Amino acid sequence: MGEKKIAVRLPDLGEVDEVRVVQWLKDAGDSIEQGEDLLEVETEKTTFVVPAPATGRLVHLAVAEGARVERGGILGELEPGT
Amino acid sequence: MNSSRARERVRHVPLGRADYGPTLELQRRLHAERVGGGIGDLVITVEHEPVFTLGRSGGRDHLLVSSEVLQREGIAVYKVERGGGITYHGPGQLVAYPIIDLREHGRSVKTFVERLEETVIRVLRRFGVVGEQKPGYPGVWVNGRKVASIGIYVKNWVTRHGLALNVAANPAHFAMIRPCGLPVEAVSIRDLREASVPMEIVREALLAEMGSVFDWTFEEADPEEVGEMR
Repeated sequence: MGEKKIAVRLPDLGEVDEVRVVQWLKDAGDSIEQGEDLLEVETEKTTFVVPAPATGRLVHLAVAEGARVERGGILGELEPGT
Repeated sequence: MNSSRARERVRHVPLGRADYGPTLELQRRLHAERVGGGIGDLVITVEHEPVFTLGRSGGRDHLLVSSEVLQREGIAVYKVERGGGITYHGPGQLVAYPIIDLREHGRSVKTFVERLEETVIRVLRRFGVVGEQKPGYPGVWVNGRKVASIGIYVKNWVTRHGLALNVAANPAHFAMIRPCGLPVEAVSIRDLREASVPMEIVREALLAEMGSVFDWTFEEADPEEVGEMR
């Protein structure tokens, strides 16, 4: 714990420039496993579930529900751990 | 047509006419199995009993009638995980739910939606109807009226939910909602041709065009077996 934080970025959904944050499925402080569902974003009538890029603890939600995020944008931060 | 590579074999699960609830459960279960790698890509086709579904952008304020009216008309309401707002499904509408792994199809949500739209446009062409895409408004449109809607959910890169094409749907039911929060007028192939088109013919056309757009060969699966799959 206390290692360098990892940014959770919007994955490349293929030619999608912007998405809207629908809802967070985890809260700041939650322990998460790699691949676990973190949040839902929506674009082009598609809901996409963003998975956790690593195992650890979600320390910061960078975007609020309803906010728009551009391709590659930072969604939150997690602290790697076991 | 001469294709140098083998087309992907995709199972078609024909449910015929079915209630929305059990079909949603089946979709969710098959989705989990597809994610786990236990099964391959498949497409469910179905004609639902009357139902309104609210996607992630949909609010009950997009429903213009009271719960008494819904009860009287026998229309159920479900809140679901797909993208988009409120949608109607009912008899006379052909619904297709592709459960496919987008990692094996270019990893592009946008391309997937565009291919579904292209499939519908080709189906309409077979019936002499010119459909078009409308940038920023997913679905297929004919002279500003909506003939097909699209709403997708992607988790672990595997899709569920899909498209709904109005073949000969009940206009009175469509009038009870305001899709996308906009006054969108729905239209059926029947209205555009002023002649009836059998559902079965449209379904065959949809499978043929979907196969051609996605480069798939369909093989029919027994819904009973799929329903029992573990």
